[in-house]
Amino acid sequence: MSVSLDYFAKETATNLWRNRMMALAAILTVAVSLSLVGAALLLRQAVNRQIGEWSNNVSLQVFMDTSATTQEVAAVRSQIEQTPQITHFTFLDHDQSYAQAKVILSGEPTAIEALTPQTTPEVFRCQLQNPSDAATVAAIFNGGTVNGVLKATYPGQSIRVMQQVTSVMQIILLIIAVVLLVSSLVLILNAIRMAIFARRREISVMKLVGATNWFIRVPFMLEGLIQGLLGALVAVVVVLLSNIGVNYLVVHYVKVLSSSVLPAHDLLMTELLVVLIGVVIGVAGSSVAIRRFLDV
Amino acid sequence: MIRFENVSMTYKGSVPALRDISVEIQRGEFVFLVGASGSGKTTFLRLLLREEFPDKGSIWVAGRDIGELTQSRVPYLRRNLGCVFQDFRLLPNKTVSENVAFALEVIGRPRSVIKVQVNQVLELVGLGQKGDRMPHELSGGEQQRVAIARAFVNHPLVLLADEPTGNLDPATSQGIMKLLDRISRTGTTIVMATHDVRIVDEWRRRVIELDQGHLVRDQARGVYGTDVPTSTRGVPAVSVGVRRSDMGDDAFEDDEHVTSRIASVRARRGSR
Repeated sequence: MSVSLDYFAKETATNLWRNRMMALAAILTVAVSLSLVGAALLLRQAVNRQIGEWSNNVSLQVFMDTSATTQEVAAVRSQIEQTPQITHFTFLDHDQSYAQAKVILSGEPTAIEALTPQTTPEVFRCQLQNPSDAATVAAIFNGGTVNGVLKATYPGQSIRVMQQVTSVMQIILLIIAVVLLVSSLVLILNAIRMAIFARRREISVMKLVGATNWFIRVPFMLEGLIQGLLGALVAVVVVLLSNIGVNYLVVHYVKVLSSSVLPAHDLLMTELLVVLIGVVIGVAGSSVAIRRFLDV
Repeated sequence: MIRFENVSMTYKGSVPALRDISVEIQRGEFVFLVGASGSGKTTFLRLLLREEFPDKGSIWVAGRDIGELTQSRVPYLRRNLGCVFQDFRLLPNKTVSENVAFALEVIGRPRSVIKVQVNQVLELVGLGQKGDRMPHELSGGEQQRVAIARAFVNHPLVLLADEPTGNLDPATSQGIMKLLDRISRTGTTIVMATHDVRIVDEWRRRVIELDQGHLVRDQARGVYGTDVPTSTRGVPAVSVGVRRSDMGDDAFEDDEHVTSRIASVRARRGSR
């Protein structure tokens, strides 16, 4: 078998080098399309994490009037305790609330300047057993029957808007990625076809002297595989670097999104998926080329 | 070794290339296949290689009906059939040695075996000193010798030659014929399609003549044309048609030989 392995390696390398511009085009297209696939996948995971974070920690916030009295606050507290849908809550007084606001608004210094601890409302952060009860519960506090409440809000609407925006973005990214994946498939197919054409003499001699069909096919399969794999590896690096870049921005400038930073495990799985897609594209492209243009 | 049984073959949208051909070629025979262009000589050879399928009839090579072979077994059939062509079909970017070695490489022979066999066969064809040359540096006759070396390096049971002297001058053709004769004497069956009147007349081997797909003549020690005086004609080997029943027992015996020969070749090739 050592002869065969040598032979396959040599033939594949020769094929790639002979059609290097074609191979480069195929590799780059695979790289670009897989980078988009990777980006779309990461975006989706990040958004899901961030939304999950928000909707788990706070399903409902009850903001007190800045002028609310201690009695009114205590009344709201007991009202919250009596509401069965609320499983858990935390109370932020003026100072705590102001500290939180400074974190959330860290990107907007003018907004922070406008705030003082006294003008920052106290807030009850409530967790609901079932986030879909948010509207019902919010209505209790917004109805005007509970004194001293400025407003009860729940993240439903804003999250829904964000989800819609990101899902549209994901769909667009994925459509572009699929179009590019198809074109990379065609490019790989074409590169293999040219390699087959360049070697047609050898192939006819191989058939005459009784080389098995698989022996003739393997170098071309390998060529497609390598093109897909190299493209995927470039995409892996691109996805990795952009993930690092985005995380840096999030951590330093948009702290409110900090829970969108993905754990290493999720990133690894995404990268593996990208590599897998690259390999599949390469093998599929060369298989089609072999079936259509290599008459063995 | 080779048996055609009522073989007919028509290319799509064309006139029949072979019509009801029945012929048998024994192990070690040297056969000239003659006939005008388009008479079906090349089709005859292509059918043997299973590059084409007969519409009717069956073809036996080395005791096996090759129509029964699955597509994946066809390469193994071809390992028993060496091929030589008018246009040599050497790979221009490989040296002489590499061209010959290629035939062994692609059927997965170990490198040590390849080296020995390539040197042996290049000696046999008289190119022992020219292994490192490129094909374009050689004369036509030498290139054809390389092609024969490539076809024979695997010691096939049968050597098929499609007008091997078609591009060569008479003197060079003689050299090629001597080489083929030497190969024939190793027990290799040779089927040579040719237009070359001089060679056929001089070598006086069995002649099978095709005309528009019909087998019109099968003659032991024959000559090219039928328009020569009777006295110079060879004795007819068998009359076409009754041949198969005549040769029934011999054919069986031949298959036995073939089987043992294949067995010994397989044994020699060892690990597969």
